[in-house]
Amino acid sequence: MENLLMEFISNTGFAMADYRHIIMITIGIIFIYLGIAKHYEPLLLIPIGFGILIGNVPVFKGLGLGLYESNSVLHYLYFGVTSGIYPSLIFLGIGAHTDFSTLLARPVLMLLGAAAQTGIFITFLGALALGFAPKEAASIGIIGGADGPTAIFLSGKLAPHLIGPIAVAAYSYMALVPVIQPPIMKLLTTRKERLITMEEPRIVSKKEKLIFPVIGFLLCCFIAPAALPLLGMLFFGNLLRECVVAERLAQAARTSIIDTVTILLGLTVGASTQADVFLTPQSVGIFILGAASFVVATASGLLFAKFMNLFLRKKINPLLGAAGVSAVPDSARVVQMVGQAEDPTNFLLMHAMAPNISGVIGSAIGAGILWSFLGG
Amino acid sequence: MFGLDAISTHNGWHMAALGISIVFTGLVLLSIAVAQIHKILQIYDKRDTYIKRIKNIFRKKNNLESNSSDLSLSEKVNGAVSQCRILIDKMGEPFSLPRLINLSEKYGMSHPYSTINDLINAGFIVPDGKGYFLWNQDDKKIIRL
Repeated sequence: MENLLMEFISNTGFAMADYRHIIMITIGIIFIYLGIAKHYEPLLLIPIGFGILIGNVPVFKGLGLGLYESNSVLHYLYFGVTSGIYPSLIFLGIGAHTDFSTLLARPVLMLLGAAAQTGIFITFLGALALGFAPKEAASIGIIGGADGPTAIFLSGKLAPHLIGPIAVAAYSYMALVPVIQPPIMKLLTTRKERLITMEEPRIVSKKEKLIFPVIGFLLCCFIAPAALPLLGMLFFGNLLRECVVAERLAQAARTSIIDTVTILLGLTVGASTQADVFLTPQSVGIFILGAASFVVATASGLLFAKFMNLFLRKKINPLLGAAGVSAVPDSARVVQMVGQAEDPTNFLLMHAMAPNISGVIGSAIGAGILWSFLGG
Repeated sequence: MFGLDAISTHNGWHMAALGISIVFTGLVLLSIAVAQIHKILQIYDKRDTYIKRIKNIFRKKNNLESNSSDLSLSEKVNGAVSQCRILIDKMGEPFSLPRLINLSEKYGMSHPYSTINDLINAGFIVPDGKGYFLWNQDDKKIIRL
């Protein structure tokens, strides 16, 4: 009996835990705290944070408990991440949730979303320079797209062993958009530029909104077919929303489906950050490059907006460029916040949604391109 | 391998340049397409007006064409009327059409078959119901028409 008790004690988490587990559990608790107390992306940070706790309870191998054991429940749930199912379903929900009116009213603002994707490719180069393999570099670069599902999708295809750090880096920086972006925005714009007011967008007809998802899907996916799983679902979700006759499906996509998938995605991505996999020098490199990626993406959007102003008769507020990173709708909110800090009567939120949404499309195209370059 | 060598070895420069170019191209094309949607819809919504306009343009064109062909026909017929009338006066009424054609050829009328056919179509020469033809007495009225 004594032996049995000793064996049981040696198999408990207390006996098997080392300092790495403690570090990861602390990180998990910080995520949960940030989500609940600070309201930083609570819908993501709480599941991820708790997932980190789940993934870092030490278990002995062979019992089918750990996420990386092929017969475990967590492993089956994690299949949705590695196969790209969850990111695609999240895009379906985003599509069913998003109103593309602002983008349709002023399509020129889509170029800001394209410019911000420069961050993806510059970070890709940076990761290559730091010694990462091309597939890993591409997965790290996509953090600059500031789009969690896209980052997870591409990592799942190109570098599944890096999903944990990449997802955590992407969602952490997305949650920190209100902290990261404002200093860059102020640094790269003058007060006069920040005071520019935008003219009222035109009213977009129902027919336009109905036609857009079909045209958008065909055009984007003919250019970058590898973006099909993400953009197909995004535009399909939007068509469900706009066609009205399938309101039940749209409602399901933007509520129960996206909520269920977010829970499963957050939880399993969090659980994938097991200490022995997560606490590596590579993860540190990923976090540094991820931060750089966000900075470059924000700066690219801002500078491109200033460049566009050289040619536009009616100037645009260059702060909108920062919304080109596709952290929807946080970066658009940050633009509104920084703009209103200069002029409380200046409402930039609805204008910022245009580059913000085009950033989502742009980052999905970027992911598709990198996948087609390196996926073979 | 690290640094610029690693980028060059893995073809990084080309992938990055091409990648960002494709993203830009995609979104530029999308923005151009999106900018045209409402214009196309405007045309579609006002399609009845546009169809009417196009129909009017064709109608005017057709009217002009038919007017000009009527004009040329009436000029030709008017020219032939006086010639034929002299010949018919000479032959007496009722007259046979082959004889009128023969005489017309003899007196040098150009294209007698088609000219006489035009006169029949214009109502100058009318059948008498017995195999012969008559000069229509209301020819002046017809010429005015």
